[in-house]
Amino acid sequence: MTLTEFVISTIVKILVVLGIFSALAGFGTYLERKILAFMQRRLGPMHVGPYGLLQVLADGIKLFTKEDIIPQNSVKPIFMIAPIIGAATAFIALAAVPLLPEFEIFGITVHPIISDVNVGVLFVLGVMASGLYAPLLAGMASANKWGLLGAARTVIQLLSYEVVTGLSIMAPLMMVGSLSLIDINNYQSGGFADWIIWTQPVAFVLFLIAGFAETNRTPFDLLEHEAEIVSGYATEYSGMRWGMFFIGEYTNMITLAFLASLIFLGGFNDWGFIPGALAIILKVSFLFFFFLWTRAAWPHVRPDQLMWLCWKVLLPLAVVNIVITGLVLMI
Amino acid sequence: MFEAIAFYLFSAVTIVMFTITVMSKNALYSMSALAAGMIMISGFFFLLGADFLGVVQIIVYTGAVMALYAFGMMFFNTTRLVEEKVRAPKLVFLLSGLSALLLVIAFTAPIVSDHIEAIYPVVDGVENPQAIGIVLFTKYLVPFEVAAVMLLVAMIAGIILAGKKMDESLTLKVDADDEFQKKGSK
Amino acid sequence: MSLEQFKDRNVTQNYKFIPVDKPPVAPMDKFKQVVKRTFRGELFVGLWVVFREMVKFNIHTVQYPKEKLPISPRYRAVHKLYRLLESGYERCIGCGLCEKICIANCIRMDTRYDENQRKEVTEYTINLGRCIFCGYCAEVCPELAIVHGGRYENASEQRAHFVLRDDILTPLDFLKEGKQEEFPGFGAVSPNADERIKKTPLAY
Repeated sequence: MTLTEFVISTIVKILVVLGIFSALAGFGTYLERKILAFMQRRLGPMHVGPYGLLQVLADGIKLFTKEDIIPQNSVKPIFMIAPIIGAATAFIALAAVPLLPEFEIFGITVHPIISDVNVGVLFVLGVMASGLYAPLLAGMASANKWGLLGAARTVIQLLSYEVVTGLSIMAPLMMVGSLSLIDINNYQSGGFADWIIWTQPVAFVLFLIAGFAETNRTPFDLLEHEAEIVSGYATEYSGMRWGMFFIGEYTNMITLAFLASLIFLGGFNDWGFIPGALAIILKVSFLFFFFLWTRAAWPHVRPDQLMWLCWKVLLPLAVVNIVITGLVLMI
Repeated sequence: MFEAIAFYLFSAVTIVMFTITVMSKNALYSMSALAAGMIMISGFFFLLGADFLGVVQIIVYTGAVMALYAFGMMFFNTTRLVEEKVRAPKLVFLLSGLSALLLVIAFTAPIVSDHIEAIYPVVDGVENPQAIGIVLFTKYLVPFEVAAVMLLVAMIAGIILAGKKMDESLTLKVDADDEFQKKGSK
Repeated sequence: MSLEQFKDRNVTQNYKFIPVDKPPVAPMDKFKQVVKRTFRGELFVGLWVVFREMVKFNIHTVQYPKEKLPISPRYRAVHKLYRLLESGYERCIGCGLCEKICIANCIRMDTRYDENQRKEVTEYTINLGRCIFCGYCAEVCPELAIVHGGRYENASEQRAHFVLRDDILTPLDFLKEGKQEEFPGFGAVSPNADERIKKTPLAY
């Protein structure tokens, strides 16, 4: 492949991924509202379009045309940059995720991964972690008590759950012996019984819990917990800047669902009679649904419970899991 | 060509960011610029093909600068300017300038001489995490282990310092004790 | 939901007392509690409950402008002025009690004697912007001429719309079609009023 071909194909991939995933993030808000509503015996959005399908569009128009308020005492440049960091890092993290198996279209073989970094897992996790700079900067720059509290909670949440994510993913990585997501996927090519979740169930659970904390989803969404700190870091935001936080959050959820299904749930290998592309979409959809499901079912935790859970339960479990995996691998 | 463009872009952004870090009077600007600069540095690692180091740079400095933010949050009102009193600005400038110059000289000196030779040259077919692992666990095994033990010591010390009397509520206890003592003395 | 359910005020209260244990203090007990809570699967019970509700699809939403819940006959919304069934005259005899009793001072009326020496109401306005819908006017009216209706959607473009008598007076054609139903709600005598009547105790 020549350089120009490479550049053109990369740009096309970037545009496709950006387009599809920002649309998916918007559609994710619709799904979330609908599913939460059904679980709470409500109907959710119904009036805009058939079954409220155009609600996303209406919300988009509203957010785009709303006045962008910047508080007087805030640190303006940082206040303005923060949401962009949130959305940008979410999409950058997607760059190293192999989304589908290779396929051919118009006689060209397409690798549906923007950049095949050979340390893919670490790259995705690192960039997702730096995405938490968005709530941090937003909270600190907006000169607001609730914002500051949200920012402080961001710091503790990131610093503690980074560790759990890293350690929980370590054990499967030791088994595979590679940091590349494609290698990890190929390791599980033997079918249903080869999925890493069967050999590393503890790591899977830990990874999911830490992932919930890092994407700021319900049992751990302390950063913007309405009952405690109004809207946390997003208190002072309005219009499109506020919307960008949510594009970032939903994209992060999808990225995490991709990561979990690639590392633990067999990735895009064929699953029985289901072809690989469909299989991974099914897995990602289920994990996305699981994110919403827990939001309807489970209560929030307090910040001290969050710290307690991280340092006294999850971290020791992760370490023990690594030690046992190491022992088994050695024997 | 793309590499050159990327290199100059990254270096320009990094230098600008670190200049802001040093020059700005607002703690929030400095810290954000520091974080941005640190993450931009990872770009150089990616350009040089050291993916692993690049990613580690991102992960480590994301967390590290975030801890710095926590301190900033506790010590300053980060939305305001920090008034700094420097007693001898010329001396500070001289010392820091000299040390910066020394660093630059120290790192650029090998370029001048032609006798640069990699002690552990890149082996083909070995990916970069493995290459780092090999170096780390052969030549640098002792420093690595020492660093690990030191970190463990630091962690235990931190837990002990922070965990002492953690279950007792400071405010509640002080109030209750004072009340008791006042009543007792009367 | 039927009206009978609304009217039933004797709701039995099946409160159950749930015994709550004291929270554990010792570290080991705390640990045991965590293990118990983790492995007893309460989290999964929560998941199951919401999932069951989603699958059952037993939706309770009322899509308001399209659907409306029935309201109780005792509901006090915008007033209605009734007409006499036979002649079509207004029931109001111009006694002025409602104007007198109105605590928000929102009822104004103007009367005169007509050619039959019968009192005629020339002006009758209720300022609905002021009205607090206390229901005293309906209660005090001796003729059941002013009653509370069920129209609770009051939005309007101008305040002048809140005082029009023509809107609350039963239209004549409506009356001739026999659609003016006798009012069972607030201020009316209850359906079993006859049974409830007792003889005045005059045994002194």
